Amino acid sequence: MAVNGALAFDGVAFSYGNVAALRDVSFEVAAGERVALLGRNGAGKSSVVRLVTGVLHPDEGTVWVGDWDTAGRAPEELAWRVGSVFQHADQQLFARTLREDVSFGPRALGFPAPEVRRRTDEALDALDLHAHAAQHPYDLSPALRKLAALAGALALEPTVLVLDEPTAGLDRAGRGRVADAVREHADRGAALLVVTHDLAFAAETLQRGIVLDRGRLACDEPLDRLLTSAERLKPLGLVPPPVAALSVALDLPGRPVRERDAADTLARVAGGRSRS
Amino acid sequence: MSALHPFSLLAIAAALPAFAWILPAPTGGLATAGLALMLPLVPDPRWGVRVVRLALLTAAPFWLFLRLLHDGPTTVAIGGRITTMVASFVWLVAVLSPDRLVEAMVARGWSLAVAYVFAATLSAVPVLKARARRIVEAQRCRGLSPRGSVANRLRALRALALPLVLSALHEVDERTLALETRGLGAGVPRTPLAAPPDRPAERVARWALLLLCLAALIWRLA
Amino acid sequence: MRILALEEVTFWYPATATPALESVSLEVGSGEVVALVGRGGAGASTLLLIAAGLAPRVTGGRLAGSVTRGARAGIVLPTPWTQLSGMAFTVWDEVAFGPANLGWPEHEITRHVDRALERLEITPLASRDPVTLSGGELQRVIVAGILAMDPDLVLLDEPTAELDPEGARAVWRLVRSLAGEGKAVILATSDVDALPGVADRIIWLDQGSVRALGEPSLLAEDAMCEAGLGTTVAGLWRAAGLGAPYPLTVVDAAQRWR
Repeated sequence: MAVNGALAFDGVAFSYGNVAALRDVSFEVAAGERVALLGRNGAGKSSVVRLVTGVLHPDEGTVWVGDWDTAGRAPEELAWRVGSVFQHADQQLFARTLREDVSFGPRALGFPAPEVRRRTDEALDALDLHAHAAQHPYDLSPALRKLAALAGALALEPTVLVLDEPTAGLDRAGRGRVADAVREHADRGAALLVVTHDLAFAAETLQRGIVLDRGRLACDEPLDRLLTSAERLKPLGLVPPPVAALSVALDLPGRPVRERDAADTLARVAGGRSRS
Repeated sequence: MSALHPFSLLAIAAALPAFAWILPAPTGGLATAGLALMLPLVPDPRWGVRVVRLALLTAAPFWLFLRLLHDGPTTVAIGGRITTMVASFVWLVAVLSPDRLVEAMVARGWSLAVAYVFAATLSAVPVLKARARRIVEAQRCRGLSPRGSVANRLRALRALALPLVLSALHEVDERTLALETRGLGAGVPRTPLAAPPDRPAERVARWALLLLCLAALIWRLA
Repeated sequence: MRILALEEVTFWYPATATPALESVSLEVGSGEVVALVGRGGAGASTLLLIAAGLAPRVTGGRLAGSVTRGARAGIVLPTPWTQLSGMAFTVWDEVAFGPANLGWPEHEITRHVDRALERLEITPLASRDPVTLSGGELQRVIVAGILAMDPDLVLLDEPTAELDPEGARAVWRLVRSLAGEGKAVILATSDVDALPGVADRIIWLDQGSVRALGEPSLLAEDAMCEAGLGTTVAGLWRAAGLGAPYPLTVVDAAQRWR
């Protein structure tokens, strides 16, 4: 297969023992693209994340990270290209201070001290964590620990960033910080794959939606189109987020799914109405 | 084997090391070690081989240290006894499910908290192993290689030790809270759910084991 | 019937000088659903631990003021995976762990466990080993494990954090049906958009104090929208420069728009 994307699944199947988790899954994510991986609990989303990181390897098919086939590559080798955050951040924090923790990746990859420092500073910056840099990870609130784990992944400066439920348990301000950080990272050319149940976050931050249903790829299309189609979401266990639902209910032109776009459209249409 | 009453399993795992130390060395210790290593092979040899291998791997360093400190005969004498202890414990952990032990203890009128501590100790090894695996996975995803040279392996081991201990300690607080929410501190006797059946033959066998131990002790001391 | 009353409650965690909760008074009656909203760290989780009788008894710390609880409480913590007993090899036994600890007769346990599994729609999982469950399944098992203990005061801390949208909706329906049976429910959630159809009362916590308290329409008021705690629809209306009062839900907005 010709590899154009930063990340590609080609006919991937995977099972845990005799329980099939993924069947014949193929998709590609280009550099700079922001993709949501959606679906019910147990649809196989977390398996995709673990396959990208090399913690798991496919039974059939190939996972490509750039021009690397992950087969035969260990997670520590893929860490040169892949940054990841798993579901429960607590088991991903290892050091005595937040700063030391964020620098864990660059140090493990053997970068010289000034480079480690630069990457750590930038990652702390991206998530606005400098104020907590000297604290012990376990002294932070669960929400901050979540952000800390993401900072640790960003410090690898990966070309592929895979995140499993990065906003679970975060308040709106926390979700905003995650959104800004990952968008900025994608703008620098990284491919972004985010597993999430938080469709409002997906609508604001991501562009394309891939939906898994019982281990198979059920759909792959632009999020704004997918999220405004309640009848297509329903059988996949998904519900349109409020902005998308409002766009449809008010029949807003262009069916915007992002808050800013919807507010602008709403203001424009309301203005037009009051003039006529 | 795991269909036996939990107390019977405990009795076997306690009796073997007891005999190992009571009976004359080296024959006693070697015989009990052999018995303890054969136990797992009885129900299912393929499963048993894995248990035996784990027991031997755990016992190996003891032999090494003994050999460094002692002469050959002493090494064999003590080594057999230690191997019996290790093998019995490894077999017990593999065959005794903590929930059955809790139910059996509760059915006998033990307090739930005591039973829980007992069972938690038994399941500590697999729980820690699972936690270590998740931490190592996360560390590898951030570029730390646990393979390669001895120095590399040592570095990875050091990186694992701290978070393993800290996260376990951290979780103790959360676990205390969580178990409280499930009524562990309710202060009433727990209803035994499906208490494991205790056959009369097993009771007799347990008493017989105890008497045999005492008899051996008396014979050795006399 | 009054189920829980807090009077001027202030609470300090061990070794902290600033209270996590300050002068909070609150009464909750049977059949009522009260939702706590606020930024992370505003004190919602602490309030739930106090309502459950776990703070300061288990957590340590110091409490001033008075707490009166007229019924047994059950709490679902925000980290469901720590709430597993670790003593059960099937989901059924896991759910039965709490009821058995309460010393109920066996047929009562069976009845409550089966009912709880049904309500959470996890009866098919009954014989699965809990360690093989996904995050969302686990969250449902823990909720079932708490409900099987038949508490009259149900406390839920971010009960939908691990659930897919369909699963989250089912939990919100469950909350209403619990209230319908006369149970009192207090919940903390960051999913404010779900609250208008679920909560009878909203309590806005800000740095440990009650900032405002009222009906769900509170979530469409300027101050809450300003703080980023209003519903998405209300926030949009406000951002579009359309006048107050803002609609609370999509349905409200559609009616207003016509």
